[in-house]
Amino acid sequence: MIYSDEMETMPREALEALQLKRLQNMVERVYNLVPFYKKQLNEQNVKPEDIKSLDDLKRLPFTSKQDLRDNYPFGMFTLPMEHIVRVHASSGTTGKPTVVGYSRRDIEVWSELMARSFAAAGVGRGDIIQNAYGYGLFTGGLGAHYGGEKLGATVIPISGGNTKKQIMIMNDFKSTVLTATPSYTLYLSEAIKDMNLDKTDLHLKVGILGAEPWSEEMRKAIEDKLDIDAIDIYGLSEIMGPGVAIECKEAKHGLHIWEDAFIPEIIDPETGDVLEDGEEGELVITTIAKDAMPLIRYRTRDITRIIKDPCVCGRTHRRIERIKGRSDDMLIIRGVNIFPSQIESLLMETEGVEPHYQIIVDRVDNLDTLEVRVEVSEKVFSDEIKQLQNLQRSIEKDVKDLYGINVKVSLAEPKSLERFEGKAKRVIDNRRL
Amino acid sequence: MKMIKQISVFIENRPGRLLDVVEIIGGNGINLKALSLADSSDFGIARLIVKGTDEAVKILKHNGFTVSVTNILAALIDDKPGTLAGILKILAQNDINVEYMYGFASPIEGKAVMVFKLSDLDKAQELFDKNDITLLSQEEIREI
Repeated sequence: MIYSDEMETMPREALEALQLKRLQNMVERVYNLVPFYKKQLNEQNVKPEDIKSLDDLKRLPFTSKQDLRDNYPFGMFTLPMEHIVRVHASSGTTGKPTVVGYSRRDIEVWSELMARSFAAAGVGRGDIIQNAYGYGLFTGGLGAHYGGEKLGATVIPISGGNTKKQIMIMNDFKSTVLTATPSYTLYLSEAIKDMNLDKTDLHLKVGILGAEPWSEEMRKAIEDKLDIDAIDIYGLSEIMGPGVAIECKEAKHGLHIWEDAFIPEIIDPETGDVLEDGEEGELVITTIAKDAMPLIRYRTRDITRIIKDPCVCGRTHRRIERIKGRSDDMLIIRGVNIFPSQIESLLMETEGVEPHYQIIVDRVDNLDTLEVRVEVSEKVFSDEIKQLQNLQRSIEKDVKDLYGINVKVSLAEPKSLERFEGKAKRVIDNRRL
Repeated sequence: MKMIKQISVFIENRPGRLLDVVEIIGGNGINLKALSLADSSDFGIARLIVKGTDEAVKILKHNGFTVSVTNILAALIDDKPGTLAGILKILAQNDINVEYMYGFASPIEGKAVMVFKLSDLDKAQELFDKNDITLLSQEEIREI
């Protein structure tokens, strides 16, 4: 279902004209209102009036997470606090969090984009959304909440965690939509089984899952375990929150990025050069519909590519491919680059291996070692040691063949690896570099 | 049929894991008749014969263990030199592979129990019968 025909199926030419107009306005505003941007543009020798085409975007400087930290807490706002109706902050795993401010109009735009996203996933009025994204400084909970209400669906603001209650409510309230992280959804599916409920007892039909990179194989596992459509959603607090991009139910391939609000670029993370559509690199987003805290060319650190081909759903907004990983998460093992999601894909293709795993990186005698711990399911368990060893060896061989990396696979007892209620932490890096 | 059900439990190689299994079994009043441990460098398989297989499987699963049930043969053999060799010879001559085996003493004077997991259990059972090797049934093993 398309929420806004006018915006979502706008011909490319008109859409790009709208983007340019909004970009020009935005650059002019931040130049005059945010000292940080005035300084940045002056240093680059660019004036707002130099932006004459979308191609001129690449003349503008990047904004990094560090820039947001340097201007903590409110230095990036274009508006005085009398016009800021809400703030969110991203988890500051290292140092200060990054703060985002929203004007009333920002909340409206965000709600609209999130409502569009829900609609693209096949959600509508009459649906009951169990919103298991965390409420709080994290944007997930409130972002999905406002979008669901805007759409006219029923929202259950249950937030994350409290799994038993989560399942009781899912069952009793006949929730049709689940919004959560993919790893928590998988955990829920196990807990549902443990509570002697079957997927057919539930009314769930769609899962709108995001906030962490996941794989196509993980999608299959979730869809199979819960009998739902698992839809990938993308967003980040610095840019807005959830609802920046989403897969449409029709194609389930690539996430439409709402181009009337955001301009995506793909760059080479090393050189900063803009890459052609289709090439893989770091996603950079410029916000062109934000009021309180617009960002120019924000470096997301997320690795993806742009899919240019028109989509079967009729939306004209381009798609980004499922996020492959974060450039920060990329592991360099003896000089070879590998993303946890690549290991995940491989594990999920291995018959009988549970989709719970942990990657442990260490350095022994100056050599990087990679250990993958996977849980053994009943399906694959044999009472003969050699068969389990064959399973270990076959995974080790697959990793070696595909990525050229030596890995040690160890088998773990079911449910022995940590489960996550929010974003999963799959990698433990014990290297002291 | 004189097949006996053996429970196999996947356990990680870390201190106390086998103890957990044994305590869960014992704590639920299930009598352990035999236990054998097979291990690799990072995991092991505990193989158990108990009085009350179904109950034990249920309890172990409930406690989060991966469990499977395997058919095995348990032979009551004379506790004297050469008996086992005689049995293995019969199996070898008939092209039956021993996947694993373990033994335990029986309370019957002069007898021991040998547990066999074989590549062809049906054929082995026929051969044991033909050669007058006593196989124990599930009921019989419970009582010894």
